[in-house]
Amino acid sequence: MNLFHFMIVTPDKTLFDGDVQEVIARTTEGDVGILAGHIRYAAILPSGALTVKLENGDSRQAAIAGGVIKVSDTRTVVMSTAAEWAEDIDPDWAERSRQDALAKIEAAKDEPDRLERANLKLQRALNRLAVSGHNTGTLGSHKKK
Amino acid sequence: MPNLKDIKRRIHSVESTMQITKAMELVASSKFRRAKERAEASQPFFEQTYKLMAEIAAEDPYFDSQYVHKRVEHGAVLLIVIAGDRGLAGGFNSNVFKIAQARIDEVQSYGGNPIVVPIGQKAVDYFARRDVKVLRSYDHVAEHASIYLGMDIADLVLNTYKRHESLQSVEIVFTNYVSPISQVAQCMNVIPLTRMPGTNPRHCAVEYEPSPEAVFDKLVPQYVAGLVYGAIVESFASEQAARRTAMENATDNATEMIDKLSLQYNRARQGAITQELTEIVGGANALE
Repeated sequence: MNLFHFMIVTPDKTLFDGDVQEVIARTTEGDVGILAGHIRYAAILPSGALTVKLENGDSRQAAIAGGVIKVSDTRTVVMSTAAEWAEDIDPDWAERSRQDALAKIEAAKDEPDRLERANLKLQRALNRLAVSGHNTGTLGSHKKK
Repeated sequence: MPNLKDIKRRIHSVESTMQITKAMELVASSKFRRAKERAEASQPFFEQTYKLMAEIAAEDPYFDSQYVHKRVEHGAVLLIVIAGDRGLAGGFNSNVFKIAQARIDEVQSYGGNPIVVPIGQKAVDYFARRDVKVLRSYDHVAEHASIYLGMDIADLVLNTYKRHESLQSVEIVFTNYVSPISQVAQCMNVIPLTRMPGTNPRHCAVEYEPSPEAVFDKLVPQYVAGLVYGAIVESFASEQAARRTAMENATDNATEMIDKLSLQYNRARQGAITQELTEIVGGANALE
């Protein structure tokens, strides 16, 4: 299978930089699979899962906190505000941030700006829980579309 | 002949100052190492975001976004000023304020209204004492800064920019880390993105979903957040480097001073002994 160069960059680290067989990302318009030789393409990623099929055929999953994917001739780049591999997510921490987000939503009821940010925080926490394969609790249905 | 006790006291005082400067130097160099790693790690994200934005803007010559074009001449200017939370870092803070003040004076000279967002305790203090409008201040955030702080500031800045047509531009004053001994304070344009070098205006034939404008508008906050975050971590690395150099010099000066004082002390001691001997010999001779 043909390989192509793929990168996941976030402000605090470069999570992945290497050759892969395939990348499957969830964009605002639906899931896209990217193989070598894909046309030039750019799309918005909401917080969601990203699957990477590595050189040796193994698959790895990452939680993306929202950003942009860009496919050019030479490489494909995901720019996200935060990203973690599924196995690196600490479910306890994700659960705590879910609780924290719920508390913030409660506190920010009357302020649309803060409410929106708290909602995004909740989405990120739920996304991390979902990607790490843990129960998302009572709010499981709130998982992003 | 200086008093022995006085010299001894001065040596002690310099020694205890040296202990402090030495400790600060060590703390600064360990913080510096971590800060530098963080500043370097933030680079690829920023570069990639900027490249994609430049590509979108270059693809369509009629590309129209309020972030790309200059709206007014000689309007208000929003200045994000990043300084440290503490002093004792050589010229670090004052260099930042020199650049910021020069820009503020320039804006005021043509009747514009400067608005600042100070980041760091020193910057907050500086602008509290001056006749400048402060939009919001942030202190003690640099050491544990995350991208969410950058997003916070980006939101604030972009909302202000959208709401006020009279706002000409948003600029950021930060300290560029050049090398461990050289850090340069500078003022950089954030929005509008008047010139986006790096790509030639040509048709790249990229498919954008849902649309180029949507992707671009999603990128702008991400770009500003990345830029602000990058500037904060870079300034923090510069601050630690500046403090380390300053404290290294202070420690060297203290060592030199102790050497000089010790010499003086020994000379005075020797002098006292010689005098005592002379007196004893003189006394003995007088008895004979």
